[in-house]
Amino acid sequence: MPDFAAPIARLIDELKRLPGIGQKTAQRLAFHLLRADREQALALAEAIRNAKEHLRPCSVCGNITDADPCLYCASPARNRKQICVVEEAHNILPIEKTRQYNGLYHVLGGALSPLQGTGPEQLSIKPLLERLKSGEVEEIIIATNPTAEGEATAVYLSKLIKPLGIRVTRIGVGIPVGAELEYADEVTLLKAIEGRREL
Amino acid sequence: MPTRMPLQESEAIVLRSYPLGEADRLVSFLSRSAGRIRGVARGARRPKSRFGASLEPLSHIRIWFYERETRELVRIHQCELLESFLDAQRDFQCGCALALMAEVAEAVLPEREAAEGAFRLLLHVAREIRDSHAVALPLAFYALWMVRLAGWLGDLERCARCGASLREVAAWSRIGAAGLYCSRCRQGGMRALSAEALELARCMLTARLENLRRFQDRIQPLQELSRFYLDLIEYQIERKLLSRPMVEAGK
Repeated sequence: MPDFAAPIARLIDELKRLPGIGQKTAQRLAFHLLRADREQALALAEAIRNAKEHLRPCSVCGNITDADPCLYCASPARNRKQICVVEEAHNILPIEKTRQYNGLYHVLGGALSPLQGTGPEQLSIKPLLERLKSGEVEEIIIATNPTAEGEATAVYLSKLIKPLGIRVTRIGVGIPVGAELEYADEVTLLKAIEGRREL
Repeated sequence: MPTRMPLQESEAIVLRSYPLGEADRLVSFLSRSAGRIRGVARGARRPKSRFGASLEPLSHIRIWFYERETRELVRIHQCELLESFLDAQRDFQCGCALALMAEVAEAVLPEREAAEGAFRLLLHVAREIRDSHAVALPLAFYALWMVRLAGWLGDLERCARCGASLREVAAWSRIGAAGLYCSRCRQGGMRALSAEALELARCMLTARLENLRRFQDRIQPLQELSRFYLDLIEYQIERKLLSRPMVEAGK
């Protein structure tokens, strides 16, 4: 005898496919949706359908957008001399929240990761090099994660871009604000010392 | 409610890690005393995580973890970084070679079986790649020794069929088969392993890696040896190594 009626079993199976959702959480979410107002549940379904139908990657930078080109690429107020390179589209938001960066973006779609079979061909590197051909760009800011994969990607990109005569910079890596030196490991501290700047 | 077991402490090498949940990491590590283990490091992806750079691939760490009854994954409590290979991985070719070594260790070594030989081998070869920035010799050495530690290495001295000496002659083998055959006993579909590559393999089994640096420029036989033993590993683990094409493309 099945544990649940077929429609709810299907809902649980679909929810289980989401990252970080196991059987128990999927069941909890499914029963919450069943208890919720019909409008609330349908609004969620509609939001998912709408997002899937209307969102696509920006043909210029690879950001997820509902209008092509995306709002950053289309905006005349953005500084077109700077491009900030990020691994994923969701990395743009924290940079925008700083309100200090006004340039353009480029989304690589990941980082070099031999263990996952991700090489240069799997990343959006060629489109980035194409963008640089216009001669308008003066600086590339590499904002990949400070992990082994992110660092390898940063070095790989800098080797490709520097010969084009474009300045390549890397976001600062080191001690997070509010942390204490005492608890930092030597690699983090070394990166912080390497990236020191004059006051 | 699962009960916590006592805290264990060990030297370890991080093989790989995957994002888990909101801010956690699922980490596969090779412990010197307890073999390959997988565990969860809670909050490891947060900027102020206490794990810092210690959970990056190939990091040599001291790790404190505890097991929980009925749970397959251990809970990683604390890590102290002993040696980092992050700088070596900034070079794409070295990074690919280190990734391939970690992938081989993860595929070949069974979970929770002490493998101190493999631990020392991985650390030793990773240090050689970091210090020399050369890939061909360390990789061939690693592949050969992993095959030996896994118990798949055949006799390099004599033909597996007639017992004839294989000194100073090329040997023949079927992909995935450990035994080598002389030219008289070879069968259709077998491929050759050159006398030079075979001689290098014999040297690698008797000498320390740092004493073999004079062979570093013999790229052809070193690559032949890597290919031969990586094929054997892939045959035994019954799957392709994901990072291998990237290493071979860059050679």
